[in-house]
Amino acid sequence: MDSVPFKQQNELIPILIARKNFYQFLIFLFSEPKNNEYFIEIRDNGKMNELEEMGKGGQLLHHFFLSLTDEKIKAEKEEYSRLFLGPGPIRAPLWASFYLSKDHLLFDESTYQVRKFYHQYGLQYIKENNEPDDHLLLEIEFMVSLIDSCSEETDRFQINRLLADQIYFLTTHLLPWIPAFMKTVIKNTESQLYKGAVLLLHDFLTFDLEVLCEIKEAILE
Amino acid sequence: MKENNPITDFLKNKMLRRTFLKWSGAIGVPVVLGGIGVKQFIEYKEAHTTVSKKDIPEKIISTCSVNNCGGRCVIKAHVKDGVVVRVSTDTQEGDDLSTPPLRACVRGRNYRKMLYHPDRLKYPMKRVGKRGEGKFERITWEEAVDTIAKEVKRIGETYGPESRYDNYASGQCWGLHGGSAAVRKLLSLTGGFLNYRNDYSSGAANVATPYTYGTNNSGSSFDSLLYSKYIILWGQNPSEMIFSTPYREYLMKAKLNGAKIVVIDPRYTDTVVAFADEWIPILPTTDNALMDAMGYVIVTEKLHDQAFLDKYCIGFDEAHMPKGIDKKESVKSYLLGDKDGIAKTPEWAERICHVPADKIREIARNYATMKPAALIQGWGPQRHAFGEQFARGGAHLACLTGNVGKLGCWAAGTGYWNRANIVSPFSYENPVKASIPCFLWTKAVEMGTEMTSADGLEGTDKLKSSIKLIFNMAGNMLINQHADINKTRKLLEDESKVEFIVVSDLFMTPSAKYADILLPGTTFFERWDIGVPWCFGDYVVFGEKTIKPLYECRDEYDVFAEVAGKLGVKDKYLENGSTILDLVKESVKRTKKELDPTFPSFEEFRKKGVHHFTFNEPLIGFKKQIDDIEKNPFETPSGKIELFSKALWDLHQQEDIPAIAKYIPAWEGPSDPLKEKYPLQLIGWHYKRRCHSTYDNQEWLEEAAKQEMWLNPQDAKARGISNGDRVQVFNDRGSLVIDVRVTERIIPGVAAIPQGAWYSPNESGIDQRGSLNVLTSQRPTVLAKANPQQTNLVEVKKV
Repeated sequence: MDSVPFKQQNELIPILIARKNFYQFLIFLFSEPKNNEYFIEIRDNGKMNELEEMGKGGQLLHHFFLSLTDEKIKAEKEEYSRLFLGPGPIRAPLWASFYLSKDHLLFDESTYQVRKFYHQYGLQYIKENNEPDDHLLLEIEFMVSLIDSCSEETDRFQINRLLADQIYFLTTHLLPWIPAFMKTVIKNTESQLYKGAVLLLHDFLTFDLEVLCEIKEAILE
Repeated sequence: MKENNPITDFLKNKMLRRTFLKWSGAIGVPVVLGGIGVKQFIEYKEAHTTVSKKDIPEKIISTCSVNNCGGRCVIKAHVKDGVVVRVSTDTQEGDDLSTPPLRACVRGRNYRKMLYHPDRLKYPMKRVGKRGEGKFERITWEEAVDTIAKEVKRIGETYGPESRYDNYASGQCWGLHGGSAAVRKLLSLTGGFLNYRNDYSSGAANVATPYTYGTNNSGSSFDSLLYSKYIILWGQNPSEMIFSTPYREYLMKAKLNGAKIVVIDPRYTDTVVAFADEWIPILPTTDNALMDAMGYVIVTEKLHDQAFLDKYCIGFDEAHMPKGIDKKESVKSYLLGDKDGIAKTPEWAERICHVPADKIREIARNYATMKPAALIQGWGPQRHAFGEQFARGGAHLACLTGNVGKLGCWAAGTGYWNRANIVSPFSYENPVKASIPCFLWTKAVEMGTEMTSADGLEGTDKLKSSIKLIFNMAGNMLINQHADINKTRKLLEDESKVEFIVVSDLFMTPSAKYADILLPGTTFFERWDIGVPWCFGDYVVFGEKTIKPLYECRDEYDVFAEVAGKLGVKDKYLENGSTILDLVKESVKRTKKELDPTFPSFEEFRKKGVHHFTFNEPLIGFKKQIDDIEKNPFETPSGKIELFSKALWDLHQQEDIPAIAKYIPAWEGPSDPLKEKYPLQLIGWHYKRRCHSTYDNQEWLEEAAKQEMWLNPQDAKARGISNGDRVQVFNDRGSLVIDVRVTERIIPGVAAIPQGAWYSPNESGIDQRGSLNVLTSQRPTVLAKANPQQTNLVEVKKV
């Protein structure tokens, strides 16, 4: 197929960057909170007041960052262990198959499916068969890698394909378990940080799907 | 129709104005966001092969769990692309008893769910809150190993090796290696550790039976039951706790051969349902009253085997007493009441044990006349205040009727038997000789230096230190399975007593909560091993490593090799093999060479998954002695069966350690005045959904058998309790809440809670899960210093 240059790359790039930034913010929110300085830096340089406009999730996070203290971060560390990391019964596992499999296990069907998808892109989880491939952070990192590929691409068809793949990945892998995950987190925590994070995650992914569909439509025109 | 450049317009004007992207487009990336999250993808090398998952063949790997179940079953893991997709079990046909099928029970069917359970311990952790609070922080393996090495050294140097202790733990104990073995080797090489003796299963019997028979090997192989005419299972429940995987095959076959099977138990157990012709309900701790009355019937109706008693036994009647002992101390005199004025009649016993007198006469006559008869004693009934009497009393009955040493008989007592072994190449030699009874470890923490031989301290007159360091490897005895949880809890929470606790496990058990360093262990799917049944089985099962360890889980053997490295003893530590696989191969090689030339090679064993040892005839306990006692005396001081033990007589504690087996009313038994306040006896049982406390967190198994308490309708009615109600069960030691099942399957006056539920206190310390040991006592049995956990009085009320 002949290459058809994509002339609006300059206009698309800022959107891709904005999306990538947002996904990276989500990675921050759902990573183990090891370093207090990260929180402080984000509070100081992250225009947190704008979060308030982003629905209930954004509001909760805004309040969280507004009243940030070392005490609070320490409490959230404990909360992270309780909800996601263990040891002990974890309340809201960060793996898709827990929500999608009949028996609420890890390493179930959805783990395979998403693994296959990574493989098609020439990517392999560094801990394949050691930790499950359908961890929230890994799925988000995969989205980021698709966005990166899209940013580097200049061919119109390829860009179109990469946009379609992002839509496919969102609808087939990432989004299907997020509502159940969100409910589980909300049911199990009073934490502003994690309640806010999961609401924001849900809202943003839903929004991002719309964005992708609209971009794709616009490009087709 | 849009403007010239619809995309540009759309992108610039519409999208970026939306709040989400407006913000994230404008913040730039704070430096931290770029740095968060390590890149977790690598290039997929086989990207261009087109093998789809459907084409990947399913590989079936035969393996084996090594927890503390008496059975050992074959687990077949169906593996696809490195993941266990389902498990199945032995497909061996039945009928041929030389190769009985080793099928998994309900617990074995759950293994995939255990393996991939989201709550698996995944990473090493260190405690950050108060001990027991459950607050931990993820650490690296390096930090974990460093910390352990430092503490092992520091505590050893500060308090001496006797301060270091590897606690009784049975979660991974019936293979060639495991956490405890690794720890002991390490401690042995660095000065040693305080030993323990005995166990929590048959602790009283283990000490008592040898006073009668000189050994605990009083059992016979199961195939001998095919010749029995009458079988009494006294407090034994193999249908639920399994005991030995092929046992049920033999019981079924015995029944088909016409044996009458009687089960004596406070509960109408699944074993009664499956095998029994008759259920004899009895009050806990009163078994010896029933035994005494059976003896009385047998002797007064002259159904006893006088020739057997004359030839093989000491102490039955006046004519066979040890020198210098009053003739009135004989078994016969005791039964007839010559000295105490109480004839041990069925009517006397009925008042104590609640078995009707006529029923006592009937089973006594049946047992004495339907020969050969097998009296097999479970171990639940000996876990009581005077459990020693239970083991010896059963043996008395076997001897009175001459049911010892002959095909189809069974000598009662502890009942071990064993004739099939493999070589275990992993060995250690502890330079410390001091040992305590395992049940008294909490005492050794609290006041170790004050313990004496009266507490069962052996190997030294006095300990130089109380216990300061505890390794608890794949075990729940640190709090859940030990008696009196609330007492243990206080002890462990005091960080000045035990200074350092290391736990390795699969899940966050109640014991794991008390760890200072918490290590994620492997399941049997993730390591090599050979599984052996309890002593009772003529087979071994290959444990193939099915998948690589998940997360950061590691085998303790490897972990402690690293600790040994830090302490400069790694070469010695690895002297039996540098890996677990080496140990397995060495065991196979040496077993073939040293024990059994027909034993398969490593590859053959791996392929078959199981090896059945074959024998031409049943193993009959004491056959050698009965056939020719002159040549083969019993291993007792007199060389005979000691119904009367001079050794016990010489302890001068006749009241609670009599020289012959007697009924002794138990503290917190049915005649204790404390019954006014706490009118119900409480016992536990081994539930089919758990192996001890293992699997309590497995949801599927909870569906199979819910944690609930059994209570007789009479006792329920008296308290206004209906079936399904939630009740509180309490005594002076603690309190728990549990759902109740009102059922006639339990004798009135007794409540029963399946043992092993995970202690889950609420804020006021009331256990919410039904963890039996909040109600049990740390008061040991008199002679063996064993656990009396079936001896409890409680009250129950509706909540």
